[in-house]
Amino acid sequence: MIELEDLVKHFGDVRAVDGITLTVPRGEFFCVLGPNAAGKTTTIKMMVGLIRPTSGSARVAGFDLQSQPLEARARLSYVPDFPFLYDKLTPWEFIRFTGQLFRMPEDRIRTEAEELIPRFSLEPWLHKPIEGLSHGTRQRVAIASALLHRPEAFVIDEPMVGLDPHHARIVKDLLRERSRQGMTIFLSTHQIEVAEEMADRVGIIHQGRLMAVGTPEELRRRAGVDGALEQAFLALTRPLDPPGAGTAMAPTGGVP
Amino acid sequence: MTGTFPSPLRLLVGTAVRSMCRRVVSLRDQSWLLLALITAFLSGYAVLAFALFYGGLRFIGRFPGLGGLLVERLLFLLFACLFGLLLISNLIVSYTNLFRNRETAFLLTLPVPRRVVFQWKLAESTVIASWAFLFLIAPLLVAYGLVHQVAWHFYPMVLLMIGLFIGLPGILGCWLAVQVARFMDRRTFQVALVLGVSLLVAVLVLRFRPTMVTEESLETARVLNVIDRLLDNTRFAQFPLLPSYWLSSSVQNWGEGVVRAALFFFCVLLSHVLFFGMIAVLWLGDAFYEASSVVHSRGSLLARWDWFRRREERQRRSSDPIARLSRPVLLETLLAWRGILAPDVRALIVKDFRVFWRDTTQWGQAFMLFGLLTVYIVNLRHFTRQLDSPFWISLVSYLNLGACSLNLATLTTRFVFPQFSLEGKRVWVVGLAPIGLVSLVRLKFWLTSWTTLGVTLGLILLSCSMLGLDAAHTLFFAAVIVVMTFTLNAIAVGLGALYPNFRETNPAKIVSGFGGTFCLVLSFLYIVGSVVLLALGSPWGWRPESVGEFRPYHALASGTAFLAISLLSGAVPLRMGLRRVAATEL
Repeated sequence: MIELEDLVKHFGDVRAVDGITLTVPRGEFFCVLGPNAAGKTTTIKMMVGLIRPTSGSARVAGFDLQSQPLEARARLSYVPDFPFLYDKLTPWEFIRFTGQLFRMPEDRIRTEAEELIPRFSLEPWLHKPIEGLSHGTRQRVAIASALLHRPEAFVIDEPMVGLDPHHARIVKDLLRERSRQGMTIFLSTHQIEVAEEMADRVGIIHQGRLMAVGTPEELRRRAGVDGALEQAFLALTRPLDPPGAGTAMAPTGGVP
Repeated sequence: MTGTFPSPLRLLVGTAVRSMCRRVVSLRDQSWLLLALITAFLSGYAVLAFALFYGGLRFIGRFPGLGGLLVERLLFLLFACLFGLLLISNLIVSYTNLFRNRETAFLLTLPVPRRVVFQWKLAESTVIASWAFLFLIAPLLVAYGLVHQVAWHFYPMVLLMIGLFIGLPGILGCWLAVQVARFMDRRTFQVALVLGVSLLVAVLVLRFRPTMVTEESLETARVLNVIDRLLDNTRFAQFPLLPSYWLSSSVQNWGEGVVRAALFFFCVLLSHVLFFGMIAVLWLGDAFYEASSVVHSRGSLLARWDWFRRREERQRRSSDPIARLSRPVLLETLLAWRGILAPDVRALIVKDFRVFWRDTTQWGQAFMLFGLLTVYIVNLRHFTRQLDSPFWISLVSYLNLGACSLNLATLTTRFVFPQFSLEGKRVWVVGLAPIGLVSLVRLKFWLTSWTTLGVTLGLILLSCSMLGLDAAHTLFFAAVIVVMTFTLNAIAVGLGALYPNFRETNPAKIVSGFGGTFCLVLSFLYIVGSVVLLALGSPWGWRPESVGEFRPYHALASGTAFLAISLLSGAVPLRMGLRRVAATEL
């Protein structure tokens, strides 16, 4: 469903993403972990077509984000860590607007919204201006809007930021449920416990490279540690030596 | 199937219209005082501008034999300059709207064609960059219509022509923004801008040399020669390929009832708007996406320079990089001299200077405002050679005082007023530091006052020097600008503390609230009141026949009144602001 092929991105002299190859099949819940400035957000930006890769390609549902952007984006939803919402609209107006942009018929918008709105407890806020909502409520509006058209691939960056434990649970349950129904989920987070709980597979990005991919158990084995996934993460993301120093850990990028 | 769904562009326009309507409706919740102030200011501008244009056009039109020609040339010149300004305005607004806008990034992740995203942003940028243009020139066109007693259909037709005209700088500005984003990083753009401005200044200096007029040259037979030389400098505005030429010709011809010629120029304008509009709308979408990707993929600008890379490398290899980085900069060393300033005070001053220096908007606007004033003041020397009347020199010196203070008021309202609100947002850093918020506000007042004083005092001394004023005049104006600088800063700092907005991170939005508007209005009233009071009570007289007489009692009375107004306007808001800060619960 999501295919990244030898994805490279340069920011001037800096190689922010360094040859990532990855395939996330239909219905998989994939979590990506990595330290700050590892290249996770840049990878996501290429994956949703916000920026052009320096080389390599990103495809969603078989459509290349650069050569067939409309087809790819019609099957995709992206929720960034601080999503954009129109402040002067109400949540209902925003949800409907998003549905219309995805060419959903009005009755389908209503049916889908009727399912999502109660799950995210948005009823009290539905007709109030978004500018007056708390960060957590805005986040719920953004996620509900993004799920409205039942995307085939759902890309989300730090979904739990600003959510209370109750709504964090609802988001996790809903994503799990959708994943079981066939939606591919690509979630980027710093919360290792979220990845451990939710993911079918976890990928670890470090210094622009995909260091390891596998189930939490496989990652532990690979890192040679027992216990929490955090230990495996720390072991796999030890600072690399600068390029050319000759002692860098061999990358495993490309393991699907 | 396609036909059953609204087009994305229609949806976006609908959303924007709905948002704008909500903004208008939400004015009901705003302070009535703010609304009254804004309405009074806008109406005041419209009435005053109309009166000035009407009087000016009638005055110029009365010149025997030349009136019509002068009015015509002025219109060509005005529209040519406005075209240039609109182009710059569109370039800046389009760049921000296309490449620094969260809505654009949001839309690029949706199944909305890039072409449509670009079309929407083009329309939005053109409206944002040009609405003030309509507001500025409306009084002029009404005055022009009344002076020339035009037919009723002149007004709607002119509105249509202007609506078309703003399209061209909109399209061109957007195209330029895409090219700038695609091919220039910030550093290259800044260098190109400085080179471009320098080139423009050089061309202007070479082209527009002052024309010396002697008694001999003003004889009837030769005066036409002099006027011809003067008008020659404005001939560029009549270059037939300029869109402003088409607009001016169309407006003037329609006003004179020459409909056929007016329609010809209208059609020229229309065809260009349609042609370039079509190109932009159909083909610039992909170029925009390409540029957007480039903008968001740029690395460190400094890292492109070898010396910077070498320095970084040295610092990385250094055994103690922290010690290297923590060496005090020159400003810190100067401030630490003799330990007069406490370390926390020094840290805040250095921080404020760094923030100012690294914010291109702040120093760019300050540089532009005071730079233009400096150019004007330096050029006064050409006029004073011809102005031997002490009355005019005295009048110009007071006007310079007003211009300098108004520039300062613009800057204090735009940059000093929101500072407390912005500090409040960073409460965990400064608000909770041992220095305390009250001391912080006081420090901001002294810091901004002393810093701006260097500029305002310098400009006033330059103005006095260019006007050839004696030491007594110079001392008088220097003392006045010192008082006014401290007062204007006190107004901005005091009202900034009195009407804080801790929710907003954008200083421009903080300024647009009640406190910012009040600050601007109060500063404006204070400046107008002070300059008028000082000019009327000038120790050197203010009527043409009384200039030169020394009038100590007038001077004493107006000076005392000026000091009282300054104290009242500055100290009261500052004191109230400090009290409010002391009681603030962050």
